[in-house]
Amino acid sequence: MSVDTASVPGQVADAGAEPDLETYLGNPHDPANPVSFPAVLAADERGELLAEGERALDGYGLNAEFVPRALGGRFDRADRLAQVLRAVFRRDTTLGVGYGVTTFIAATPVWTDGTAQQRRWMADLLLRHGKASAGYNELAHGTDFSRAELRARPAGDHYRVTGRKEMVGNLARADAVTLFARTDDRPGSRSHSHLLLDMAALPAEHRRHLRRYRTAGVRGVLLGGLEFTDCPVPSDAVVGEPGGAMETVLRAFQVTRGVLPGMAVGIVDTQLRTVLRFALDRRLYGLPVAELPHARTTLVDGFLDLLIGDCLATVVARALHLLPDQTSVYSAAVKYLVPKLLQEAAHRLSVVLGARSYLRDGPYGIFQKNLRDLLAATLTHASAAVCQATIIPQLPRLAQQGWRSSPPPPPALFRLGDPLPPLDFGALGLSARGVDSLTATLRGYLAEPGAQPAVARLCGLFTAELDRLAEACAELPPRDRTVIAGRRSFDLTDRYATVLAAAACLGVWRHQRDDPFLGDVPWLAAALSRLAGRLGLHPGTAPDGLERHLYTELLARHRDNRGFDLVNRRLAG
Amino acid sequence: MRYPAFALAEHLDHGLGDPRDPGRAASFARCVELDSREEFPAEICAELDRLGLPRWYVPTEYGGELRSYEELLHAVRILARRDLTVAIGHGKTYLGAVSAWVGATPEQARRVGAEVLAGSVISLALTEREHGSDLLAGEVSAVPAGDGYRVDGEKWLINNASRGDLVCVLARTEPAGGTRGFSLLLVDKRRLAPGTFRCLPKERTHGVRGADISGIAFTGAEVPAEALLGPAGAGPEIVLKSVQLTRTMCAAMSLGLADQALRLVLDFATAHRLYDRPLVDLPHANRTLTEAYVDLLIGEATSVLTARGIHATPDELSVTSAIAKYLVPTMMDRAIPRLGQVLGARALLTEDHADGLFQKIERDHRIVGIFDGNTLVNLNTLVNQFPGLVRGYRRGVADPGLTDTVDLARPLPDFDRSRLALLSRTGCSVVQQFPVAAAELLDLVEAGVAPPALAVQVETLADLIDGLHERMAAYRPSPRQVPAEAFALAGQYALAFAAAGCLHLWLRNRHRLAGGATGPLWADARWLRACLHRLIGQLRPAGVAGSAPDDDGEDYDRLLPDLRAQHREGRLFSLLPSRLAEAGTPPPDPPSETAGQPDEQPSRTAGAVTQPSEVVR
Amino acid sequence: MSGTIQDTSVDAIRSWLAGRIAFYLQRSVEEIDHDLPLVEIGLDSVYAMTLSGDVEERYDIEVEPTMAWDHPTVNALAGYLHGVLGSRG
Repeated sequence: MSVDTASVPGQVADAGAEPDLETYLGNPHDPANPVSFPAVLAADERGELLAEGERALDGYGLNAEFVPRALGGRFDRADRLAQVLRAVFRRDTTLGVGYGVTTFIAATPVWTDGTAQQRRWMADLLLRHGKASAGYNELAHGTDFSRAELRARPAGDHYRVTGRKEMVGNLARADAVTLFARTDDRPGSRSHSHLLLDMAALPAEHRRHLRRYRTAGVRGVLLGGLEFTDCPVPSDAVVGEPGGAMETVLRAFQVTRGVLPGMAVGIVDTQLRTVLRFALDRRLYGLPVAELPHARTTLVDGFLDLLIGDCLATVVARALHLLPDQTSVYSAAVKYLVPKLLQEAAHRLSVVLGARSYLRDGPYGIFQKNLRDLLAATLTHASAAVCQATIIPQLPRLAQQGWRSSPPPPPALFRLGDPLPPLDFGALGLSARGVDSLTATLRGYLAEPGAQPAVARLCGLFTAELDRLAEACAELPPRDRTVIAGRRSFDLTDRYATVLAAAACLGVWRHQRDDPFLGDVPWLAAALSRLAGRLGLHPGTAPDGLERHLYTELLARHRDNRGFDLVNRRLAG
Repeated sequence: MRYPAFALAEHLDHGLGDPRDPGRAASFARCVELDSREEFPAEICAELDRLGLPRWYVPTEYGGELRSYEELLHAVRILARRDLTVAIGHGKTYLGAVSAWVGATPEQARRVGAEVLAGSVISLALTEREHGSDLLAGEVSAVPAGDGYRVDGEKWLINNASRGDLVCVLARTEPAGGTRGFSLLLVDKRRLAPGTFRCLPKERTHGVRGADISGIAFTGAEVPAEALLGPAGAGPEIVLKSVQLTRTMCAAMSLGLADQALRLVLDFATAHRLYDRPLVDLPHANRTLTEAYVDLLIGEATSVLTARGIHATPDELSVTSAIAKYLVPTMMDRAIPRLGQVLGARALLTEDHADGLFQKIERDHRIVGIFDGNTLVNLNTLVNQFPGLVRGYRRGVADPGLTDTVDLARPLPDFDRSRLALLSRTGCSVVQQFPVAAAELLDLVEAGVAPPALAVQVETLADLIDGLHERMAAYRPSPRQVPAEAFALAGQYALAFAAAGCLHLWLRNRHRLAGGATGPLWADARWLRACLHRLIGQLRPAGVAGSAPDDDGEDYDRLLPDLRAQHREGRLFSLLPSRLAEAGTPPPDPPSETAGQPDEQPSRTAGAVTQPSEVVR
Repeated sequence: MSGTIQDTSVDAIRSWLAGRIAFYLQRSVEEIDHDLPLVEIGLDSVYAMTLSGDVEERYDIEVEPTMAWDHPTVNALAGYLHGVLGSRG
């Protein structure tokens, strides 16, 4: 994969080294940089994907991040993928979604179930900067794929496709479309198939592009619609078994849902940096805003939320490699909880930014764009309710066994620098079968002889919570174990996801002993206390100076221009 | 069954016509289009002028029709549910003029009243680029010069600064500043010498994109002595009292926006099917709807009590207006995005789903929490009064006006500006009389009149409110360095106010409101139970202790029929019967209503709007 | 439940399955049509997967979570499970 440096903003220092996207995108505040915040904001105002941004990502070869290494790409670690894309989301969510995620979602079913030839074709297409669209959505059915109506009827050596897909990213300019189509009129879960469409080869008279859908967030993303009328598609376009699309989706979307929240961490990383910049510059009642206790608490809480969200996102991404039989639950939990935490953090930060959070111009204009974009990223690719409904049917079994006695996870789950085995899409389980190794981390720590009392006390809050959750899940009336469950079950998934986040934080802390910040107790104690507070538990009073400690770290990272996430890396500019 | 305070709102809503009719100037489609073009809704504002709205900005003693702030509250609410840009763009004249009602000499106030009645646009200029809510850091100066003042400096983020004919400016009149160092000047832009002022370009905003949010810069602008509103140096005091009136009206904006958001989501949830059933029949989805409904009812109760308090207990407004301005926008900032979750990705569409209205509401609403004193400013106001609030609670202080405040059928006394105070000497009677109301409720339960479940709720609340006051008492004030925990306590106090207010409202109005369109809500106290359920849940940390294991929130489910009926029949989501433009032309007012209902009082306010509206200009 | 010896006749499996489905749908066992696709009875695709969990618990075997997708009626499922359990010995 060569990087074309001719038309891009940054310079890659060493052509032999892995190109670094953050450096590559350049200083976001430099008005001369074609992918600066001002340029990004201007494109948003025009409702366009920033063309220079797309060129830069072509130049960097972003698509290669989505292509498995075995097929010539750079995808070998889901956590790394999230971190690379985080650089894009930190700059412009619209590009992240409109250039990145859309293509990734379209390609994943092909990696999961495609033939060698289909995989090769998709890989080649992406590696030459082609665009792939994920043809799932029909507005009438939304998240309920099993009711999708677009039909593909077998007719000799091909299918004939009739129906429409709506609000699909990049549809109007896609080279390939992964199409979710009904291939059997009977209701049920074996009635749909994926068809991999080569758009250049489809007869134009059988398809019609619908007009673009405009949105308030990620305004530049090209959401289109496509109507097929008796459109012939060759039979070998089927991905996997005919009738197997639901199953493919349940595997492939574990990867996409598992990775997206880690990307979205980048949005709030920018929000926090923007508000911190304001709080340091602005004086109110004779003091810099950052010196006002409420503002400081909000900033530190935002930092903690970012760390918590990244812990869960990173651990779940690694679990896709290490615990693929359990990620049906974890990937839904992370897609549910992390965007929610991020959104709550962004809202609180907006209160500190005050009127500036409402202005589209000026030094903090990126904030209001990110507010809109974050909302869009949250609603994209499975809403909160869809994710929760995925977890609910698994709760009783988790409660019965998994939360009491599951094998501990391999340490590599938490050793952020450790290599990972290749992601085996076929190994992703459709059900966790009641096993939950991540929360076993909490019980494991309590059983350790050398456990630190302060940490153990906090962990005890979460294991006790798990016990209560287990009781509550065991008592769930039948209907509350299904997709038509009532609020009680949805609330249980929220609490469970919060416990998972606590376990992820604990695991990360235990295995980064060499990191002077992450290996130290204060951030963990603060993160666990925050999560306990979210559950209405009483974590006890914070030790004196905890907030100051975290604020000092936050400020130090800001002064060195480093990220606020686990990676803690140097940013461009 | 009528509720006369809705009369003006209904007059305006029906006058503007069915907002779903794209042929109307004030249709939703048109409002969304204006927003996307960032165009001021001038045509709709002119329509409101024709409907006579400016008369309700001017108190009767100064020549207008403003008698009841309860009525104005609902008018603002009904405009905001149609379009916040309109509510702000037009309503800002009230904001610009209110300082005159609060602080000017009667003669001055009459002059300002005449301007408003003549259709002049008046704007209020408090904030500056570098100082935001820190008004006493303001740098715009007014120096005595000749017979008047010379004004210099820039005001920024001012609604209607460019469109306004007059601007009410807070200016530093003592170089040293301080609480007596600022004065209010009503600057008539039409009379300023050319070149001595400049309107700043409109700022591009997240929501309310058509609004004229701009600024004005003065350079040696000379204004006459009579521009001074009230005594020199009284600026901060007049402003702090004026915002007690306007903050209540901000709560109305939140109510209106959330009402329409809920309406849109109900439209969708009744039509859309998921898992083979209408979305509205899925328990998780309809719980989201009933929760939003309960939030609206809580917000309405809080706002109505605050608005009635402007007449009946104005001495406590420093507390109650801060509560309303904090609580209602904050609740709706949460409720609206949650409703959006039910719509899914449709919530983002700017053209395709229901005129793209939902995303506009979501963006628009965020400004309500920001302007006219933001969340933190309001909570701070409460924190500063903790000692007085604790004292008042311990002594069970009750302002005699509380009865008029909570009994919707009682006529309200005229607003008396001399009773406005920067600090409440009597604390907050609604909260302080909670124990009395609770005792009354327990008696009703005992007598078999009120459902037993309410007794449990009220006893729980009593403990929570006691505990809250203990924590407030333990707080040691520090004026600048207010810790986050103190803000949290103030937020809880606002919830306690809402809970106490709901209880008072039910007790004092349950008989009269048991009939009529909203009767079912009142009959078995079902609205009260749901509201208290929600408020208890927020006052008490979530968690194991949060809800009994057998509590599945049936209190909310019982409201679903009421919610759906109000939606179907084109009514506001409300404790009180109303009729929106969607419901068609209202029947002419019957000459007399059944006795024993809220409008048995002399129906002064209702009479005023049923007269044919004169064109004012 | 696992560990106990279960009756693995087709009839026994069928009535147990119908009982589970009736439990989820909060209906009486008599209302469950053994030949109607589960989706039509009201068991959605995601929670048809829950059934496989119940099967694994009861009979102490591993089945595909998509079992109910491929054998979409009570009778089909019972027949399938009987085959699996029979071959186990």
